[in-house]
Amino acid sequence: MTTPASSPDTTPFLLRWQSTAFALVAGGVAVASGRGVAEALVASALIAGAVFLDRARGGREAQARGAHAAFLASTDRLGQDVLPVWAAHIENSRQQMETAVAALTQRFAGIVDRLDQTLRASGQGVDKGLSAAFAHSSEELRGVLDSLKDAMASNAAMHTEVQNLSRFVAELQQMAAEVADIAQQTNLLAINAAIEAAHAGVEGRGFAVLAQEVRKLSALSGATGQRMADKVGVIGEAIRVARDAAQASARREAASALASEGAINGVLDRFRGVTQAMEDSAAELKQESAGIQVEIVEALVQLQFQDRVSQRMTHVRHNIERLPDLLSASRRSFDTSGALAPVDAEGLLGELEGSYAMADERATHAGGSPKAAPQAAVAELEEVTFF
Amino acid sequence: MAKTIMIVDDSASLRQVVGISLRSAGYDVLEGSDGADALKKLTGQKVHLIISDVNMPNMDGISMVKEIKKLPAYKFTPIVMLTTESADGKKAEGQAAGAKAWMLKPFNPPQLLAVVQKLVLP
Repeated sequence: MTTPASSPDTTPFLLRWQSTAFALVAGGVAVASGRGVAEALVASALIAGAVFLDRARGGREAQARGAHAAFLASTDRLGQDVLPVWAAHIENSRQQMETAVAALTQRFAGIVDRLDQTLRASGQGVDKGLSAAFAHSSEELRGVLDSLKDAMASNAAMHTEVQNLSRFVAELQQMAAEVADIAQQTNLLAINAAIEAAHAGVEGRGFAVLAQEVRKLSALSGATGQRMADKVGVIGEAIRVARDAAQASARREAASALASEGAINGVLDRFRGVTQAMEDSAAELKQESAGIQVEIVEALVQLQFQDRVSQRMTHVRHNIERLPDLLSASRRSFDTSGALAPVDAEGLLGELEGSYAMADERATHAGGSPKAAPQAAVAELEEVTFF
Repeated sequence: MAKTIMIVDDSASLRQVVGISLRSAGYDVLEGSDGADALKKLTGQKVHLIISDVNMPNMDGISMVKEIKKLPAYKFTPIVMLTTESADGKKAEGQAAGAKAWMLKPFNPPQLLAVVQKLVLP
């Protein structure tokens, strides 16, 4: 607030002495001119009145001077005692805000870092660990299935061999039947030979003995053929039993292998499902965490307001800190010269304007509404100048 | 090997915010709390870009740019001024001192990264 400049206090002082001198001169002139005592008394009364009026005016002026001095002392005290407190509050608030925002930013930065580390660690664990475990397990179990299939293939080969033996048995049976038939034919030939030997009489006796021996041999051959047929039948039966057993075993093994394959595939499917669920979950977690990271970073960006507010508060504080000196100078000027010197508000405003760094500060200074400041801040957001 | 970017700002929170943006893009970050502190920390190591505020205590950003341009190891290091200062006169001072770009706060991280990628040394 400025005080209008008043006229120098020396003017009423001079006027006061001028009027007193005028009254004294008037009384003296009246007496000296010999106009009589009455006139001299009137002149003296005028003089006394003038002196009284002059003293009364002097008292008022002294009062006014005292009031001016008191006013200037109060404004000086405002500058020395009150304004530093305002400035201290502003600075203290600015520092508290800066400390709090810095701490908040630090903690958010820590969260972002930890999220980042967790994401990297979990990503590696799930991506490599689970996939590798699944691939390894799958390979192991497929190996077991392949072994089962190999065993079944061996059994099938053995079954084929057994079936081939069955064919040989049939051939052997055929051969045994042929031996029996040959023995029977030989027996018939021996009988015919014995008949012919009997017809020959004594000359045929030797031949009859030979025919008899041939019949015995033919009987032996027939018996051997029969035993061969019997043994081949036994072997054939054993082979059939073995073949049936092999077939039953192959069927059981096939069923068992099929069941094992189904079980293994079921286990692998469930394992795949679990790992897939874990991978999906990890991917979702990763995505969400990345989203949270982005949100935190954006929130941190919004905290840049602190820098702007801090600068603005600093500029205002510096300007407030200048005012006590100006008020003291005004008081000193009055004390020394008796003249009221105005505080240089224009200069102070000029200093404040000169300290601005931001367009929204200038807009506010120029009379912009408080709402204009955020708009100005947004408008500046995209501005980059390359040199 | 990650490239190194120095951030010079008297606001710790702003250094943090810029640092997070740069680290998330894979850069290593070196910090200075004002021009004098930054000069003290430039000890010959490779720095691929410097991002600096203008109004700082001890040594302001433009004086710091002038000093950096006298250092043989850093005279070709690109410097981006990141500031709330929007006066054309200050921009001209920054350009005359040797800054490569003038970017206003509050900054947008993707835009800051675009500026960094455009100017960072290979």
